[in-house]
Order: sequence, then structure tokens, then C-alpha cells
Amino acid sequence: MHAFSLRKRLLLVATLVLVIALGLVGFALNAANYRGAVSALQTRMESYVYLVLAAMEVDDNGGMEVDGEFSDPRLTQPASGVYVQVLGAEGGWSSASSLGQQWPDLPRKDPGQMSFLEPAAEMHAFTLQYGVGWQLADGSVEPFTVTVLVDESEIRQQTSAFRLGLWRSLIAAGAILVIAQVVIFFFGFRPLRRVAHDVALVESGEAARLEGHYPMELEPLARNVNRLLETEKSNQTRIRNALDSLAHSLKTPLAVIQAGLPLHGGEAEASMQSAVNEISRLIATRLERAGSTARRTLGEPVEVQPQVQRILDSLQKVYSQKMIEAGLILEERLKFYGEQRDLLELTGNLLDNAFKYGKSHVRIAGGAVEPGASRPGLWLRVEDDGPGIDEAQWERLSQRGSRGDEQVEGHGLGLAIVMELVTAYGGEVSIGHSEMGGAMISVKIPSS
Amino acid sequence: MRVLLIEDDIRLQETLSSHLRGAGYAVDVSADGIEGLYLGEEFPVDLAIIDLGLPELPGLEVIRKLRSRGKDFPILVLTARSEWQDKVAGLEAGADDYLTKPFHMEELMARINALLRRAGGHAQPRVDLGPISIDLTGQRVYRDGEEIELTTYEYKVLNYLVMHPDEVVTKTDLSEHIYEEDADRDSNVIEVFVGRLRRKLDPDSTLNPIETLRGRGYRLARLLAP
Repeated sequence: MHAFSLRKRLLLVATLVLVIALGLVGFALNAANYRGAVSALQTRMESYVYLVLAAMEVDDNGGMEVDGEFSDPRLTQPASGVYVQVLGAEGGWSSASSLGQQWPDLPRKDPGQMSFLEPAAEMHAFTLQYGVGWQLADGSVEPFTVTVLVDESEIRQQTSAFRLGLWRSLIAAGAILVIAQVVIFFFGFRPLRRVAHDVALVESGEAARLEGHYPMELEPLARNVNRLLETEKSNQTRIRNALDSLAHSLKTPLAVIQAGLPLHGGEAEASMQSAVNEISRLIATRLERAGSTARRTLGEPVEVQPQVQRILDSLQKVYSQKMIEAGLILEERLKFYGEQRDLLELTGNLLDNAFKYGKSHVRIAGGAVEPGASRPGLWLRVEDDGPGIDEAQWERLSQRGSRGDEQVEGHGLGLAIVMELVTAYGGEVSIGHSEMGGAMISVKIPSS
Repeated sequence: MRVLLIEDDIRLQETLSSHLRGAGYAVDVSADGIEGLYLGEEFPVDLAIIDLGLPELPGLEVIRKLRSRGKDFPILVLTARSEWQDKVAGLEAGADDYLTKPFHMEELMARINALLRRAGGHAQPRVDLGPISIDLTGQRVYRDGEEIELTTYEYKVLNYLVMHPDEVVTKTDLSEHIYEEDADRDSNVIEVFVGRLRRKLDPDSTLNPIETLRGRGYRLARLLAP
């Protein structure tokens, strides 16, 4: 399973935090607005109390009346949402607006007492009660309770309009912030993507190390990756050298053993000879090749023609008595994207067989595979006019690590090495008949 | 024929030198590059077998130095390095052939033979001198199809003359190339060998296959096939 991408992860967390923070801000602003609205309402309700008290007349017996002509229409218009009631010992008054309203049963207040209640489950209105004492002519004090009710819708309209505006602007702000985050992450993560890209280049062999300039935070990562690459490279070199020297130091004692064996000895010698051959073959095909990485080198490609020419010159020297005529038909400026030693090994083994078995003519042809690719492949065809390889032998030779002709280290060993090498490069080897009369070996290494 | 063997593995050196001596070669051995180079420069060597992995001075350097000092005897590289990179390097340094370890003794002998023949200008392992024919591989000599029995030293003298056709070969040359350095040499012995060789090759003194150039040495006569 893929771990959640860093960018998605950060985006998700940041968005979550953003939503929570904006939500809290929204709630706080909403609450503050509500409190403000309620407190304004309370003040307004108090002013109704004073308005009514100013219009109130009390006679000497404590009877009361209120002049109902108020300038505020909400006190006179029925169901206006603002209702005022004055209750005394001897009766009371209620505003014209409360006509048809059911007054709740509220406790009376002593003079000087005041209470303010917000709407509750049973009560859908704000309630302000004010206790006043009216001094009569005889000096006694008559208690009255003034009750003001304001329908909760009064505030609700006001606050819900505010809330709507508030949430709209908060959502807009949130959206802008989320977009900003995406943009920030995109640019912020660009160096990381570049590191990933550069590491991929190292992996594919197009770069030897992380070369770019990275932001300060990524420098240690790049440095450590480079250090790791160096360690790995030096380990590889060490292993390669160890294998190489092991392969070579095994051969001298082996040569001592073999030198002591007659070519046509008895059964015991023959079985020892075959054991020596087996070890030699394993050294040549496995041990010596184990050290070579066969990975495409990062460096410059090898020009094929001069290397093939070196092999041809060498073989002409070795097989000088055969007077072989060698043809070299290579595409111009043909390049091999790999190690020079591998190219020499490939062409050396193929041409050595051709020189060994050919009568008088040998030919090598070659060209690029997928010439358009950034690192094109290579095909090579080596032919001779010798006896050729019969089909029964093809099968045997095509098998990996086939023994081939043991006595003369014939096609077998050379071809086995070629196959090992070509396989390591992801290519293929095919054996056939040449129009020249002998064997034709074709090698194809794909582009990378 | 005098062979210089430079090989640092003593066991292999001993096995090879005893085989070479058994095959009639005079052998000088060395286990390191510097001494080997000295022997190659100072001794009348006909062929050198040089291991590439040598102490003191690498085999490739020995070959390069020998060639740069005008030594043109054939050089066979003996190497544990079977990669073409190394073979090509050896041949480019001036070697004439290579053999990778391990190898068959017969293979080594065949290669040495072929190199010496090539150096002597003989492409084929069989050399004909009129009715006399010499099988350089089997080290046998025939006259009119009949094998002539030769002793080792008689064959060595004949072989050296065959490998240096059209050249005047001195008694010193002969003794230097058929004896090892520490052997007791006597130029009179060479005269005895040549005399016996003449009698065996040409019992009725009609061919005169070995000419004597008084005061200078011997030369193989140009005998055409009958």
C-alpha cells in the first residue's frame, strides 16, 4: 500500500486545522455578536420601562393608569413583538400591543429589583422585569412590577443575518487559504521532487551522484545519499577486485595440475581433466563475470570501430599463419553504451571463434538498435567460412553455461561468456548459418 | 632453441621447464620481471614465455621494454587473465600469442612450435630440403620418406639451422642456443654434432645440406625438391 503522499497529508492536516480554527473564530464572533445584540436589546427594553413609567399616573389609593398614547408604534400595534405590562396591588395595565397575548405568570419584583431573562424552552421572549415603588401622598410606598417582553424573533433575525454574512466570509477566506496552501506546497515540495528526480537519474545510471543545489534543509539528505553512493561504489570495487583476484589466483594452481596431466591419459587422468575443465569453465563464466556489474556505465559510450579493430589486429597476429581476410562493416560512428571491457570481451570471443574455425574469410557487421533512443542498443553479426555449427549443437550451445567443445575450448567457452554477458545487458544471442558457409552468430543488445 | 620462461609460480615454473627441456629446448627461468627482463636482453633467447602477473615488474612492462630495446624474438604470454581486454593489451604491448591458464601442455608446446616456425619463416610444420623433410612438430626427420634417427642434440642443431635459413650460423650461436647458461660448452662438440648430422642426412655426400663457411660458420643449403 502506498503511504499517503506528504503533500496530501500536509494538505489534509492543514485543511482540518483551518476548518477548526475558522469554525472557532466563527463561533466566537457569532457569540460576541449575540451578546452585543442582547445587551442592546436589554437597554432598549429598559427604555420601554422608563417610557411606560413616565406615562403612568397613580392616585392616592394606589390605583393606576397609563396614558396609552406612545410615540413608539410597537407599544400600540398589536402583535408588534414588544409587550409591556405594569402590575400593581390594585390592578394593572398592559400595552395595546399585547392585545390578545397570553401573559405568562411571572413573580413580582420588589421595588429596586430587576431581572433579565433570555428565551427558554417555555418562553419564546426576552423578559425584563423591574420592580418600582411609587410613593403615595400619605407617604406610603406602593409596589409595582413593570414587565417588558420582546419576542425572540427580534434578535434572531438580526443575528441570523449576521451569521450568514459571517459564515460566507469565513468560507471564502477558508477557500482562499486552501488554494494558497496547495500553491505553497507545490512550490515548497519542488526541491523534494527534484531530489527524487535526481535520485532516479542516479538509479538509471545517467548521473553518478546528486549534483544539484538543494535548499538548506535538503543538503544533508543529498550529502548522505552521495556518501552512501560512494560507500556502495567502493564496496562494489572492493568485491569486484576480490573476485577478480580470486579468479586469477585460482588459475595458476589449476595450471600446475593441468600441466601435470597428459592429454591422452588413462581414465583417472581423464576424470581429473574433466574436473579441471569444469573448474576453469566456472571461473571463466561465473567468477570472472560475477565481478562485472554489466550495468550501463554512466560515462561516455565506447566507439565500437576502434575496439573491433584492436581485436582484429590482435587476432591477425595470433592467427597470422592462417592468412585470414577479415571484413569489417560497421555503421559509421557506432557506439556502445556500456563498458569497454565488455565490448572487447564480446567481440573478442566472437571473432576468436571465427578466426579459429574460419578457413580464409571472417566478417563482422554491426549497427545501432533503436538509433533514436537516448542510449541506443547494438547489434553485431560475426560470420566465417568454416565448418559451421550444426543444429544439434546450437541447442546445446544456447544453454547457459554449456560445456561446448572441451578439448579446444571451442565455440563453447567463448560463446558461454558471450551469452552470459549479453544476458546481463538484457540482450540475446542467436546462432545460424552464414552465406559464407560457416557459422553466423548474431548478438542484439537493446537500447536502455 | 633457447626459451626464456618468466613465471613467478615456482611449481608451474618447474613443471613447464622440465617439459620444455624434455622437448629439447634450452630453458632459462626467472621468477620476477626485472631478472626476466635482464635475461631477455642479455641472453640469446629464441622465444620467451612471459606470465603477465609478475612481481617487481609486470609482464606487460617486460614485453614493452624488450620490444623497445629491439628484441624481436617471439613472445608467448601466459596469463591467468582470460579477458580480452588483457589479451589485447598483451598483444598490443608486443606479444605474439597468448595462452590462458590453465592450459594443456600439448597446447603450449604446439604454440611454441608454431611461433618458432613463424619466426623462422616457415608457415607449415613441415620443412622440405630436397629429399630431406623435417617435421617440426613431431621432431622427426625423413629422407626419401625414410625416418632418420637423430639424437636430441643433433636434432637441436638441425632445428636451429632450419629456423635460421639463409643465415650464417656460428658455432657460438649454436652452442648458445642449444645449451643452457650453466652447461659446459665446447665448440668442438658442435663440430662433432654437425659432422654426425651430415653423415646421417647425406650418407653418400651428394647433397651437402649443411655448408661450411670457413672461419665464419654454417649455413643451410638451398635444396630444391627433386
